Amino acid sequence: MEARPVQRSGSRDLSSNNLARTSSIPSSSTPKPSAAEDVFMRSENNNTQLMSRPLGQTYHLLSSSNGGAVGHICSSSSSSGFSTNLHYSSVVSHEKQQHYTGNSSNAAAAALQTSSNDSSWCHHDSLPGEFLDFPETHAAIQNSSHVEDGGIGAAFDDIQKRSDWHDWADHLITDEDPLLSTNWNDLLLETSSNSDSKDQKSLQIPQPQIVQQQPSPSVELRPVSTTSSNSNNGTGKARMRWTPELHEAFVEAVNSLGGGERATPKGVLKIMKVEGLTIYHVKSHLQKYRTARYRPEPSETGSPEKKLTPLEHITSLDLKGGIGITEALRLQMEVQKQLHEQLEIQRNLQLRIEEQGKYLQMMFEKQNSGLTKGTASTSDSAAKSEQEDKKTAVSKELVAEETRVSEELESPRAKRPKTDN
Amino acid sequence: MKFGKRIKEQIQESLPEWRDKFLRYKELKNLISSPAPAESIFVGLLNAEIDKFNAFFVEQEEDFIIHHKELQYRIQRLVEKCGDNEEMFRLEIGEIRKDIVNFHGEMVLLVNYSNINYTGLAKILKKYDKRRGGGIRSPFIQKVLHQPFFKTDLVSRLVREWETTMDAVFPAKVAEEGYERSAAVTSAAAGEGIFRNTVAALLTMREMRRGSSTYSAFSLPPLNLSDSDLVLRSVHLSSPIPIP
Repeated sequence: MEARPVQRSGSRDLSSNNLARTSSIPSSSTPKPSAAEDVFMRSENNNTQLMSRPLGQTYHLLSSSNGGAVGHICSSSSSSGFSTNLHYSSVVSHEKQQHYTGNSSNAAAAALQTSSNDSSWCHHDSLPGEFLDFPETHAAIQNSSHVEDGGIGAAFDDIQKRSDWHDWADHLITDEDPLLSTNWNDLLLETSSNSDSKDQKSLQIPQPQIVQQQPSPSVELRPVSTTSSNSNNGTGKARMRWTPELHEAFVEAVNSLGGGERATPKGVLKIMKVEGLTIYHVKSHLQKYRTARYRPEPSETGSPEKKLTPLEHITSLDLKGGIGITEALRLQMEVQKQLHEQLEIQRNLQLRIEEQGKYLQMMFEKQNSGLTKGTASTSDSAAKSEQEDKKTAVSKELVAEETRVSEELESPRAKRPKTDN
Repeated sequence: MKFGKRIKEQIQESLPEWRDKFLRYKELKNLISSPAPAESIFVGLLNAEIDKFNAFFVEQEEDFIIHHKELQYRIQRLVEKCGDNEEMFRLEIGEIRKDIVNFHGEMVLLVNYSNINYTGLAKILKKYDKRRGGGIRSPFIQKVLHQPFFKTDLVSRLVREWETTMDAVFPAKVAEEGYERSAAVTSAAAGEGIFRNTVAALLTMREMRRGSSTYSAFSLPPLNLSDSDLVLRSVHLSSPIPIP
């Protein structure tokens, strides 16, 4: 299940913190953000999802041992973890804590306001980035005021928050493990849960073995999104990842309450008894359900654009009509099948390329560490070119494999009777 | 530049509501070419893109799950209603059939969406590392592999289920054109969008896999599309998309 919070906070609080933080930042040179970066950020005007969430109200879920979730849990009520955050100055942490204590009730109120159907994250005035090490940050803090204006500040918020949450969440997770594990067993897809639990560990390990040629402090490349819901400490609005099974349980609950129109989110929630499922999840899901049932549309995204038949469409339709609707549908289905098949093959290849690459890199890192430290640089480059050769070899293997695989796929297709779909 | 052009075409052909949900490949690429931004900034931007993908993907997936069940119920109700009355069944099933095909199409397009964005991310990271001489690509991609938008298993499963259902429910070539035409014509417009998008996606894949100038260990091999070449050629007649 995916759990992603959608929170809103009063912008006033944020901007006051904004100013406070600005003053606390040690002064140094403040180069302007490059024009390209500026443009990039401004082009985000239409995309509300770029902008970051206000501090203290972002909920992420981190599952280390439980399989599935990637992300962080944050609660505005518990901020003790922050002081241990080594990335940031004590001034900064202090201000954050101030922010938290004041805002926990606001968070609750704000969360309720947000429409449950809101598919984009709620964004408000972003806090300026708090990477005191980066010269660009200072410029960003000065420049960014409003989320919609873009500015590098928003990007920094995102980065900084995620790193914050991760460190902080580590403390929280250990306390809440039993609770989390139950949630995920209920909510996770079977397919993903196994792979997740294995891979979660690797995500948390900082990457010391990767040779970083930049002097920058290790910015944790943390996944942004979450994959599980949780019973939030406060009123988390976490994003949920539904499954057919869960949906079936939902439908049963709804039916037992008299149908889509009669059922209430509260009632459904009560009947379903799924840990980690919040009333917000149910509410938004119920809304979608009602729309799907009582206004059945041929296509999911039934947009007017598609429904109206512009002249060009009619012309091409005639051609399609000429070959018969049945034929047209069959052709469409065939093309779709092809695409899906190819996508699956491509995806598998991509996965394996990465796997092999990772494995080889690990091997070579080990090899390098075994060599004398003095000649580290030369052996690195030699090792690296060897590594690249190996990777090319691997890739060639994969090419051969893919040919075999597609041939296998092709033969069953040929054998399959050409059905009139 | 090839990928940039391709993803742009994909986006143009995609369903309208999807258009601003794709990776902003061109912008990111331009961002790199000027003094490449610091890692933290760049990673932050990419993370924001990933946020966008995840939110959209999970939302679409939820819609699909609901629609999936609804289609099943519809068929079930129709079967129950018609009983032995094959005539009646065939009359009504036309509409459902078209819905199934379009639904199948949309789900495949979501899988395609996931893949295009992943591929774009991989390429952008490669470019960034090339520019900055860093090694952020590998660990970042490892992280991406665990993102919700990349986990397309469920959607793929539903896709395959419906393929099976189609084979089962519409097995024989029956003369159905008469009663299907009215239902299909109005909704063919809906199917058009999906159909065009699908064709565009297939063409994009073929182009991308043709072999690049920067072929490396992380490049994908050329696409093996012998069967679909036939399909795509036949599509040329009925599709307004110019096929190279």
